[in-house]
Amino acid sequence: MSVDLALPFGHALVARQDLPIPAWLFAWAASIVLIVSFFALSAAWRRPIFEEQHWRPLGGAGFSRAVTGAPLQALSGAIGVLLLGFAIWAGLHGTEAPDRNFALTFLFVTCWLGFPFLAAIFGDVFRPFNPWRAVGRAAGAALGAAGVRRPRKLAYPGRLGRWPAAIGLLAVVWLEVVYGASGGIAVGLDPHSCAVAACVYSAYTLAMMALFGVEEWCATGEIFSVYFGMFSQLGFLGVRDGRFGRRRPLAAAGSWAAIPGSAAVVIASIASTSFDGAQEGAFKGAIERVFGWLGDVGFGPTASLRLADTIFMALCFAGVALVYELGVRGMRTIPGAPSLARLRTAFAHTLIPIALAYLIAHYFSLFVFQEQAQFTYLLSDPLGTGRTDLFGTAEVGIDFSVLSSQTIWYVQVAALVCGHVLGLTLAHDRALSIWPEPRRATRSQYWMLAVMVAFTCFGLYLLSAGKG
Amino acid sequence: MTGTLSATLVPLAHIGHWLWVFYVLPVIIVIAGIFWSTRAANRREREEEEEEKGRR
Repeated sequence: MSVDLALPFGHALVARQDLPIPAWLFAWAASIVLIVSFFALSAAWRRPIFEEQHWRPLGGAGFSRAVTGAPLQALSGAIGVLLLGFAIWAGLHGTEAPDRNFALTFLFVTCWLGFPFLAAIFGDVFRPFNPWRAVGRAAGAALGAAGVRRPRKLAYPGRLGRWPAAIGLLAVVWLEVVYGASGGIAVGLDPHSCAVAACVYSAYTLAMMALFGVEEWCATGEIFSVYFGMFSQLGFLGVRDGRFGRRRPLAAAGSWAAIPGSAAVVIASIASTSFDGAQEGAFKGAIERVFGWLGDVGFGPTASLRLADTIFMALCFAGVALVYELGVRGMRTIPGAPSLARLRTAFAHTLIPIALAYLIAHYFSLFVFQEQAQFTYLLSDPLGTGRTDLFGTAEVGIDFSVLSSQTIWYVQVAALVCGHVLGLTLAHDRALSIWPEPRRATRSQYWMLAVMVAFTCFGLYLLSAGKG
Repeated sequence: MTGTLSATLVPLAHIGHWLWVFYVLPVIIVIAGIFWSTRAANRREREEEEEEKGRR
């Protein structure tokens, strides 16, 4: 059974000495795939098709009412509240061993990784289960039923857009991978701190919902709604005007970035995953040097490690933002280009498949392994005390042989290549709507090709430099 | 012999530190390609403009 999976996370970075060719050759092969895809798109894709979602209702009006109606929303919301409450209870009262407590795996693996994977296929699955939305809506309904006059909501500042969610996203990952550093050693977040953080976040979110309104806050500031909602733009199912329907996959992403701060959300997603991958691999030596330097300056071991990690996490964000900015500035040089601000917004959605690809590449094996734990011993003994066995699976362990290191590597490479080809496709499609002349549209996308190749090679470098 | 061998092995042992170069090269090649093709496209556009002016 897993003993050293000090969550979070000894993620999917495994030794790959058994590969038939050097790992860097995969980066070259992936780059060639991207270049060939780019020219294929230029030759065969002559008009934009993702500007229109082609949304069609699914099933009859009765089916739509059943899916989006109040009873199912209330039931799924209640399940969400119950599960969050259970995770907090397990975190507060269970063992401090991260891999034996239900809370960490449930919150940081099952939810944090599971919802993006599901959303990318099926649309916004998190929305009905969002516990804070459920509580906010229930509180609003209860106040209305009791005849209490609700105070007027504040108008949400439009310029703030999704920036609170972007900063919150970085804060969640910081809590997950940086705060856990203690005594100079990265030991991972402990379940008690995780539960306390969940309580604090719940209070903050409910307060913001009371101030600005439940749906307004979910659309802009609630970290998990925005983060999972971002991936749901790739999915083929969605709700429009209260009706459940299907749409062209990827097409909804085009309008997602119109709200300010959206680009920051997707950049934060890529950067935080990159940092988590690089922390124990590519950046390890550099972090250790900064850690030593901070120690010499007078910081304690814990503060030094947290500060060094924070600096590198911020650098990751700046680096990813810089690469995107270079791509945007490159596009700006093409005659007929709109303003920089418009270009930044217009192409931000092309990074969503890359964020998903990074997520799959870095956490796919962790997800497969930890979900075995989630549905066996963590379910039977959620507190990890060794005294309960609710479903008779408390002694079942993780079968690490379900995935070989080669399988993991090939899934990682495939995820990165597919994600970047999808990003390139979205970018090409958007370029055609900005530059109606295909030759100019293609020229503008040389720069996005460079961005995609850079992210692919960087992603593969992080994976190949990962710890064994 | 030992001296020659160690002189060869020491630099090779450090090659791992430079593996990142192999990951950067495709990006550099693509960027170089962009500059080259952008210059070629600009030159072509200039020539087309001049040709048009000449015709007028």
